[in-house]
Amino acid sequence: MKFRVERDVLADAVAWTARSLPVRPSVPVLAGMLLDASEDDGRQRLKLSSFDYEVSAQVSVEIEIEEPGTTLVSGRLLAEITRNLPPQTVEVSTDGAKVVVSCGSAKFTLITLPVEDYPALPEMPQLTGAVGSDAFAAAVGQVAVAAGRDDTLPMLTGIRVEIEGDTVTLASTDRYRLAVRELAWKPENPDLSAVALVPAKTLADTAKSLTNGAEVAIALSGTESGEGMIGFEGGGRRTTTRLLDGEFPKYRALLPDSFNSVAEVQKAEFIEAVKRVSLVAERNTPLRLAFSEGQLVLEAGTGDEAQAVEVLDATLEGDEIQIAFNSAFLIDGLNAIDSDIARLQFTTSTKPAIITGKPAEEEASSDYRYLIMPVRLSS
Amino acid sequence: MRLVIARCSVDYVGRLTAHLPMAPRLILHKADGSVSIHADDRAFKPLNWMNPPCTVRETTDDDGTVWTVTHGKSGEKLILRIEEVWHDSSHELGPDPGLRKDGVEAHLQELLAEHITTLGEGYTLIRREYPTAIGPVDILCRDGDGATVAVELKRRGDIDGVEQLTRYLDLLNRDPALKPVRGVFAAQEIKPQARVLATDRGISCVTLDYDALRGIEPDIPRLF
Repeated sequence: MKFRVERDVLADAVAWTARSLPVRPSVPVLAGMLLDASEDDGRQRLKLSSFDYEVSAQVSVEIEIEEPGTTLVSGRLLAEITRNLPPQTVEVSTDGAKVVVSCGSAKFTLITLPVEDYPALPEMPQLTGAVGSDAFAAAVGQVAVAAGRDDTLPMLTGIRVEIEGDTVTLASTDRYRLAVRELAWKPENPDLSAVALVPAKTLADTAKSLTNGAEVAIALSGTESGEGMIGFEGGGRRTTTRLLDGEFPKYRALLPDSFNSVAEVQKAEFIEAVKRVSLVAERNTPLRLAFSEGQLVLEAGTGDEAQAVEVLDATLEGDEIQIAFNSAFLIDGLNAIDSDIARLQFTTSTKPAIITGKPAEEEASSDYRYLIMPVRLSS
Repeated sequence: MRLVIARCSVDYVGRLTAHLPMAPRLILHKADGSVSIHADDRAFKPLNWMNPPCTVRETTDDDGTVWTVTHGKSGEKLILRIEEVWHDSSHELGPDPGLRKDGVEAHLQELLAEHITTLGEGYTLIRREYPTAIGPVDILCRDGDGATVAVELKRRGDIDGVEQLTRYLDLLNRDPALKPVRGVFAAQEIKPQARVLATDRGISCVTLDYDALRGIEPDIPRLF
């Protein structure tokens, strides 16, 4: 194998593929990154692959091939090396059981791992549809924040992806808050109905990293338990992830559809004030909010320790309400909405509240809802 | 693990210096790179040792072999001069199941520590993962009368777990500040033989209900 490629092209591709290298590989060969230089449809390409039996990643870049071939080298080491090469053309070649990477006057020799032992990457499932990459990354980001992190409740560590024709609904929850986002997309089959539970961290990382192309193609297969897999492709990069098993809670029933009070607050001020007042709220002690005509009073802390209070402007329609929240969960929701004005809808102080951004047009509904469970007012 | 019994001298060069004169000793070189030197007495402490990360370089000269063990981070060195080797064998031991903690076991420890009164009224936590020379004790706590209690937690409580707790208790009971220390063997499921051995040794057994423990959340209401 022998080929030449620009340093930046190689470094980006290796860095992206290295993200899916297992930190503690169950089998030593999985620490390797597969390099496959070949001519495909008249294009000379280098395919880099990594796999950890859950997530696979592959990227394809154009190179100048002198001799096609396949080799397997330590992925982490290759990523470190390519990141630090001088900004010149890189030449990669195999020399017996070693791989030589030369760039300018720097030369690295790496030992190879056995290519025959490397598992075959899973096949990309059939194309299901496509969505704008930036919109997708933003939507996933808004929802991933609410996913659970407790591995003993694995079905809550995923984001539920629900496809109904040209709408995709993303939902996640950790039992204390629930985030739901609706997104328009282009399905291959307009009558398609499908559901998948995708590990939240992987989906968030993938969506963020596929913004180099304009669109992300989504491919879903086998959503009936066990072998389910979802694939994403964009800008020459493709990745697959095994789906999670398990029943996602029936969350739609949790979203209240009528409210006793609706308040609106300037988002940026609100977040700053919550952070400030929460300085005196220790872990699990509540942040108290009191909404009344024209204002919101934030309070935290009890009589025998430090206390804090701050008053903000707010509009209120409906009943006055005093309610308390976990400040970190409240800040997560406020950060996720994409309007300058936060709209909060309440029923009572012991029932969940919904946070949304104020929509641009009065009667429009928000495509993002963050449901947050209040904590008891007295801790 | 490599076991070498040899006449050797040991020099430790680091923040202090130490010297062990030429004498027959047991040298252990383990899979994680650590090296320890033992005399034919005492049950748990080597005469000298080097913890990982460290590298071992063996060189030979006219007087015999020299092992230079260098610590990866601090640069401290242990220099073993080996004159006569009586025994040199290597054995693949593989990972030890007794020391690996899985997610549920770690969570069980967290939950029990948070709700230590599950063991009885008046119990208070001293600390989790209390370090001893032979490994960490899952939970060290005090009972309602102020006596010290060591808790060994397992998902499945079998005889090995009881033996492990017995070793910890022997060690802890030598510490004048802690003794008398009694043991509690806590698991989701305790095998009958383990229960018999524990009871015989005065160790009490507690069966833990993982779901109930998780349910005793500190009063935080949930969406579902």
